Amino acid sequence: MEARREGQFVLYERIAPTGRIERRLGFPEGTIVINPVEPVHLPQEITGTIEFHFPSLALMPLSEVTVYLTFPVEIGVFSETDETYNLIDVFSLASPKYSLYGTPERGVITRHVESAISTTPPAPDPLEEGVLTLTIRNTGRDWVWVSRAVFESPSLRIFYGPHAAMSAEMMVYSRLLAETWIKRDPPAEGMQEAIRVYPTRKSLIPEKASYLMEYGVGE
Amino acid sequence: MVFESLSVPVLGAVTALDLLVFGIAVLVSFVIARIVGTYIKKVFGDRVDPAELDKLVRVIQAAIVIIGIYAALPSFDITIADMLVVGGTIGLVAAFASQRIVSNFGSGLFIIAERPMKPGDNVTIGSVSGTVHQIRVLSTIIKTHEGVYVRVPNEKVFTSEITNFVANVARRFEYTIGISYRSDADVAVRVIRDLLEVHPFVLAHPAPSVFVDSLGDSSVNIRVFVWAPSRVWWSVRTEMLWTIKKALEEAGIEIPFPQRVVTIAPGARIEVSQADAGEEDR
Repeated sequence: MEARREGQFVLYERIAPTGRIERRLGFPEGTIVINPVEPVHLPQEITGTIEFHFPSLALMPLSEVTVYLTFPVEIGVFSETDETYNLIDVFSLASPKYSLYGTPERGVITRHVESAISTTPPAPDPLEEGVLTLTIRNTGRDWVWVSRAVFESPSLRIFYGPHAAMSAEMMVYSRLLAETWIKRDPPAEGMQEAIRVYPTRKSLIPEKASYLMEYGVGE
Repeated sequence: MVFESLSVPVLGAVTALDLLVFGIAVLVSFVIARIVGTYIKKVFGDRVDPAELDKLVRVIQAAIVIIGIYAALPSFDITIADMLVVGGTIGLVAAFASQRIVSNFGSGLFIIAERPMKPGDNVTIGSVSGTVHQIRVLSTIIKTHEGVYVRVPNEKVFTSEITNFVANVARRFEYTIGISYRSDADVAVRVIRDLLEVHPFVLAHPAPSVFVDSLGDSSVNIRVFVWAPSRVWWSVRTEMLWTIKKALEEAGIEIPFPQRVVTIAPGARIEVSQADAGEEDR
């Protein structure tokens, strides 16, 4: 990856297995920012929802458990001037896969993330995977098998330090209904919040604080 | 002199000046509506879905024009009550005189309310297939796959069968792949499954299905069912078929031509003529 001045442009180049990516940036002074972004952009952005699949957990009524999952890292490259960011490239070492949460008629296409469960923070390859700290609460009166957690990408807050990380909560109301949200605090001290892609688009659609999982929390 | 001639009544008590003022007011309202529409598109163009923005701009423009007409009405010395009476009467006359237009208008309202499709959707309406370009109150504009503009009256849209290929977020497509009887169907199924697993837009759930479906005349037929996001299903379908064909060939799986085994009964007499060869020799 390289960025160099060429006349009045800055030429950004990246060599990828599929070929050379080249962008000409018309800015006289600025910064190139590289950090992990919401993992929903590759190979092309078709959804704003991410779905974690993990081995089933049985939660007893009114219980709480914290687990660690991994998620694929997508690396975003931004040009920045006066705190205005423009996404110029996204790449990843992880293989993307997509899925359907719900029914074809009323469901939603999701970025599919298959993850193992850890009870202690794992140490993945930081360029390939990040760590999601997920606290699951069963507020219902029945045992519930949980193997899925769905989040909307505009609400994702990714932090980085030794690796990319997020922390989230999941409130399970029944085997069919749950609510999820991403915490805005860093999962560990010293971590820095990554520039997100969603705010750079200045969309008028407000960010939702939480996501309501209406199609079940298990298989 | 000019002013006096404009003050002469031309239609009841309505003078030419009244008509002129009304015309200018309506014209100005159209100009303002156009300017406002362009401004809204400039400001919100990259933040709002284009179809929704188009709808919003039309509503705002219509409101501006209606306000312009309303503001110009005093020049005719017409009260709202008079206008409602006259408007109602004209509406009734127009309804009888132009039933098809009214029918198209009513159908248009139902289509907008029911929303069986939206601009950008890939649809078939009756015998017309293509992408919905615009849904108007009287007609629906379809851009066919060949890029041809087709205007379908809303009455026809409303009474026709509408197939919307992208109304659901995901859709299924299928292949039937014939392999030779000499080839190992288990290997072929595994090769296809591996390919589907690594393709990002072959959905993990619902999972693809690959199985031996039938024993045909010339081939063992493998069926492949794949779910893909509606937005990209066509590119996935076209890409995967060739990828599967190449992968099967690399794995030594034969995709046979139609063939027939002819068994000659014992004792049957076969005569082979070499007349053609002899003619060539001569």
